[in-house]
Amino acid sequence: MQQLTVFMDIESSRSYMDELYSHDGARVVEALVTLKNTVIGSNRQKGSVIQQGIVPRLLQLMADETLDPNIRLEATITVGSLAKGTAENVAALVEQGTATVLVELLKTVPVESKLAEAVLCALRSVFLHPPAPVAALPADMRLLTRLTQIAREASPTARACVVRILSIWCGSPLEQEALCASGACAAVAAMLHNGRGSPPPARALPALDLLAAMCFENASVSQVAMNTRHNDRAIPELLTYLVSRDKPLPVAMGAARCLTYIHRADALTADDSRVVFGALPCLARLCTKEMPEEIRATAAETLAYLAEVDTSLQRLAAISNHLMSSLADIVNCNSAAAKQGAFKCFASLGANDEDIRKRIIETHGLMVHIVNGMNNPEPAVRLAAVRCLHSLSRSVQQLRTTFQDHAVWRPLMQLLSDSPETELLTVGSSTLCNLLLEFSPAKEPMLDQGAVEMLCNLTKRPEAALRLNGIWALMNMAFQAEQKVKQRILSCLGTEQMFRLLSDADTRVIMKTLGLLRNLLSTRQHIDAIMSEYSSQVMQAVIVVLEGSYPAEVKEQALCILGNLGDGEKAKDLIMANEDVLRKLVDYLAHPESKLQEAALFVAGNLVWRGEAGAAARQARLASLGVLRALQLLRARRDPHLHDKVKTALAQFNEFT
Amino acid sequence: MSFEPSTNSNSSSDKSDRKLPDRSKGDDLQISRTDMNMLIMNYLVTEGFKEAALKFQQEAGLQEPALCSSLDERIMIREAVQNGRIPDAIAMVNALHPELLDNDRYLYFHLQQLQLLELIRGGRAEEALSFASAALAEAGAADRTALTELERSLALLAFPDPHASPFADLLLPSHSQKIASELNAAILKMENQEYTNPKLCSLLRMILWSQNELDKHNIKYPKMTDLANATIEQPKL
Repeated sequence: MQQLTVFMDIESSRSYMDELYSHDGARVVEALVTLKNTVIGSNRQKGSVIQQGIVPRLLQLMADETLDPNIRLEATITVGSLAKGTAENVAALVEQGTATVLVELLKTVPVESKLAEAVLCALRSVFLHPPAPVAALPADMRLLTRLTQIAREASPTARACVVRILSIWCGSPLEQEALCASGACAAVAAMLHNGRGSPPPARALPALDLLAAMCFENASVSQVAMNTRHNDRAIPELLTYLVSRDKPLPVAMGAARCLTYIHRADALTADDSRVVFGALPCLARLCTKEMPEEIRATAAETLAYLAEVDTSLQRLAAISNHLMSSLADIVNCNSAAAKQGAFKCFASLGANDEDIRKRIIETHGLMVHIVNGMNNPEPAVRLAAVRCLHSLSRSVQQLRTTFQDHAVWRPLMQLLSDSPETELLTVGSSTLCNLLLEFSPAKEPMLDQGAVEMLCNLTKRPEAALRLNGIWALMNMAFQAEQKVKQRILSCLGTEQMFRLLSDADTRVIMKTLGLLRNLLSTRQHIDAIMSEYSSQVMQAVIVVLEGSYPAEVKEQALCILGNLGDGEKAKDLIMANEDVLRKLVDYLAHPESKLQEAALFVAGNLVWRGEAGAAARQARLASLGVLRALQLLRARRDPHLHDKVKTALAQFNEFT
Repeated sequence: MSFEPSTNSNSSSDKSDRKLPDRSKGDDLQISRTDMNMLIMNYLVTEGFKEAALKFQQEAGLQEPALCSSLDERIMIREAVQNGRIPDAIAMVNALHPELLDNDRYLYFHLQQLQLLELIRGGRAEEALSFASAALAEAGAADRTALTELERSLALLAFPDPHASPFADLLLPSHSQKIASELNAAILKMENQEYTNPKLCSLLRMILWSQNELDKHNIKYPKMTDLANATIEQPKL
């Protein structure tokens, strides 16, 4: 039975637990070793120890500087083993202040001691369980400097642990800057460097993760990384060395991701050889069929980020290493991460180039997968599928053909009316804007599905991007639409909401609202029909804008609405009856901004058009208000841009000239 | 063991084939004695045979072998595993690398399984059962492979003479040797050693793989038919 003691259940061996509280140091050590050997390897035993409330005693033994170093070490190792248990085990440890005690210890223990290593191992294990107790580690410069010193000088295990902890801890610009200032870039460079050979993955991987976390969307830190050298090799060189084919896949992946982040943070240009010949081909290779699924997933997602904005990188990626086929194959993978990565990557590739979009759709029959993706139970996959659809919806040709064949609007409308997350709603409604362009055949069926109501609701959202998408889509919908559609938009949106949008904080929303009005008031019959019901509100809206302090392009839109009204039979009279508006018109004809002059000219031209009933009376009234004189002044200026239009307008006045 | 290249006499190859390397002939590849000695030394050091390594160094007149820091500990751990002193072995591993058995639960299971087998070997059936339910059940519940292995081990109890049962292989020294090597490799990996397996093992695997590939394509070549004696058989013409 002697040899069985190690495997004894905690319950059946309370005796050595009591020894933990003994005054005899040797007995405490012995008890700790037994406890340690009991908990290592068994989650059940860990749970049992935590339940029995031994953790506070362990923390106390760990932190007491007067005790035998061995006691402190064994206690720390035991806590470290407990931290390798279940999520509940770790949560219980954190709740009892383990992370804070460990961080406090880091401030005092000698950097190269065994105790420091055990403390770091334990803290690393705690941090690996989300949510990591990041608050336990303050952005204190002295502490961080100490930690980066450990990352440069201590044992391999301690270095790997401290860098892993920091890579999880670094989540916002505050931490990025603090780490950078405490010398983390130099520590990373030291860990990526290994004489002539490559560093072992256990050392390189945490360093690459930390570098990525520090450089993400941070221009100044990325710039520091660019210039940090170790033994005469700068970080970008070290990374370029690590993306090559002979390196372990996770290392190559990590290095390519760092180069990607540094590029996107504007420290490496899109035509830099380290991006074009380093990161990009490596990521394309990691997407191929021979690679393990999780590597492919990460590579596709990273490549999506790399090529998200730059057209030349998109074109290059599209012809790299059969990337399109690789991605089409990744979409078929089972994991949500893989599908998501592939959709995002397709979205990036097709963002700007019509040819690539065409190839994406034609060569790989992606639409079926996108439609399936939009119905995926995983929200992240649905979002990525919609992103992909959004990118492809920029193609006029696709809107008319493939999109129609696959009735993509159906799952899209379904998603948008299912009260989705804001991000999905934003991308989805942007896609909707494109689908609702006049030439899109999807318009009719979408109206039947309640698109108008949904979009009107969007304009009431607190997020400016959603209001913009809503009103923008309504504007597109109203363009050359039938009268019943226009009526529906007007009655659903309501004039009150329209005025609210005209005073929106976001100028783009105001522009699109006026654009909507313009589109609503387009053909002659529609103008009169709509004005018979909404004349006072429309006129009020125009006056509000013309008199308010809006930028020129907003006022231009308002003048264009007036111009449209001037084309309606009865609507003309409304303008003519409003002296305020007419005086404004004269002002704008003499406005220094030439596009406002041009818009005002368009209004005047419509009002004085001969051959329509009452033209002579209107001309007389306008002449008396000074419109004629304003036009003559314009002609005298001989502006080549306006000259023809001025002449045409003046020609209408021939009785007066 | 020798890689003595076979003296080849069959030089009757077709003339048109001349430019291609003649696959029916053994290469005139001489493996230098120094390289051979290094391979053997590498095997002894990685597998933790310290005495043999030192003896071999003397006999072959080699330089002091680069023994890794943990060699002594690894030898003691290997001895403990192979002699059935599993709790000792586990305690030593935990002292050397406290995170190892927490990270590799399957390896930990294998050690506990050895402990169980020791109890069965000693005919202590009841202790074996209570130990299995107290310590091994957890791993069996978490991992299907472990469960199958646990079932195989416990099945030994059903036979009056476990050594004559279909699962007797578990009680052979080769089983505990296998686990000891597994543990040894895990320790080396923990210490970031470049190679956790002896290079000789990789070479043998490489030979088996290459011969298999060549067989698949029906290519004639001098084939090593007996690995233990390195007998190379010439292809039949």
